[in-house]
Amino acid sequence: MSEYVIEVKDLTRDFVMGNGLFNRKKKTVHAVRGISFNVKKGEIFGLLGQNGAGKTTTIKMLITMLAPTSGTCKVLGYDTFGQEKHIRNRINFIFGGEYGLYRRLSARDNLKYFANLYKITPKVRDERVEQLLELVDLKDRADTRVETFSKGMTQRVQIARGLINNPEVLFMDEPTIGLDPVGSEMLRKTIVKINNQGTTVLLTTHNMYEADELCGRIAIIKEGEFLTLDTPANIKSRLTPRAAKPVTHEEITLEDAYIQLVKGGDMA
Amino acid sequence: MRSSNVILTSMSVQMKQTFSRNMFKFCMLIAPFFTTVILGEMYRHSTADNFVAYVVLGSGLWNLWNSIAFSSAGDINRERFTNTLSIIFSAPADFRLILLGKIFGNTILSMGSFFLSVAFAIALYRPPIYVNNWSLLIGALILTITAFIIMSIFIAYLLTLSRKTAVYMNCLEIPFALICGFVFPIENLPVGVQAISWIFPPTWAVRLLRYSVTDVPYGFWENFVPLIITMLAFALLAAWLYRIIFKQTKVLGTLDMA
Repeated sequence: MSEYVIEVKDLTRDFVMGNGLFNRKKKTVHAVRGISFNVKKGEIFGLLGQNGAGKTTTIKMLITMLAPTSGTCKVLGYDTFGQEKHIRNRINFIFGGEYGLYRRLSARDNLKYFANLYKITPKVRDERVEQLLELVDLKDRADTRVETFSKGMTQRVQIARGLINNPEVLFMDEPTIGLDPVGSEMLRKTIVKINNQGTTVLLTTHNMYEADELCGRIAIIKEGEFLTLDTPANIKSRLTPRAAKPVTHEEITLEDAYIQLVKGGDMA
Repeated sequence: MRSSNVILTSMSVQMKQTFSRNMFKFCMLIAPFFTTVILGEMYRHSTADNFVAYVVLGSGLWNLWNSIAFSSAGDINRERFTNTLSIIFSAPADFRLILLGKIFGNTILSMGSFFLSVAFAIALYRPPIYVNNWSLLIGALILTITAFIIMSIFIAYLLTLSRKTAVYMNCLEIPFALICGFVFPIENLPVGVQAISWIFPPTWAVRLLRYSVTDVPYGFWENFVPLIITMLAFALLAAWLYRIIFKQTKVLGTLDMA
């Protein structure tokens, strides 16, 4: 088996959109345009980019939710389109935002249901649900309907849901959206903890501090194409100092490098 | 975990979710009263047989259809908006079993609206009711529910492919009830439309149900055989459709609203 748990080669995804009631005009949107990257087992890989850059579309193809238009997209050695059944019980995903849960059910009922869909035995399920409720600090509100939760609490249920099957590869799409600083810190610690236990993580975020702290490598994507793929330290070291904000290399942040890259500035 | 557990757990979640919705409570508890009164007034001066067939059974069947089909189709839309559709579709459990569990859950709840409609009709109009054959009535009722479930699965699969679920749902509700003869005999429809009625299993199921409680000018086998054939045809069509939607939803990207 390959040393990589994620293998992406020349991956593209187009969406055909229709406009107008009569004389419907079709327009093709190229969401992802020929990206290639590999992720090693145990790595935390960051995918950064502006809204609409193609991050979520890439993740959706990796988690077997969307078919690629062309190219190769493999997770754990299997094609994500056509060999889904070999992948699905070994991965999981966490989307940011308040959706993705049954809001009229309690946190505990949600977790139990998703555990059942991951074919976890009732004994293991019940133990794991309690552990996860403890982890995301929702034990006291476990039997309350999700619709009464704050944004941050809902997001914490999402995190617990994503960990329900102890995934080998975890995909996280802006998981800290809506979380307060304490919640964000809890999530970062959780990511480090599960990564230390061997889980590979692919993370998209707008929080550059988070990406810098967690990710071994980062790809920056713009309009469906990679601008760069390197370690955070290397990306920062290539930043050319700006006249408006003269800085030493120690002071350069990933955010400085990111802004310069997506605005089309020169990198060394 | 066995397939039955996926069905049971999906059924339980569905029932909890559905019954907490005010719209469903209205469809299940209040709408049967209005349907029964409207049909009761329409058939007030008709024969006793017609009254039983098209008011007592008709209102029950109409509400049963509304609750099963509307909920099952509406759930696809709701789950698409809340992004749970893509999650359950991408889970290791078979989506067909999840959907079946959801439809079973809706069916159990919808039976409430069927019995409530029948109870309203009997309480309000006190029609003379006699049952020719109780075991046939129970058998016909089970077959009717099975026919509705098969249609619901078929519709839910179709709606997984498209984001315009609400439009299709509204287009289906009343025409289907009329075409399948829930509230008047399909013989009253133009011949061309009757040909469409014959395609759908609920048409034959409803006729069989009526056969068990009233004196109708047709026999058991001439409804039972077409019912089984059309049910099998739609079940096979649904199985074939699933193979298509399993791929096409991912190609078209219709599982969520993003």
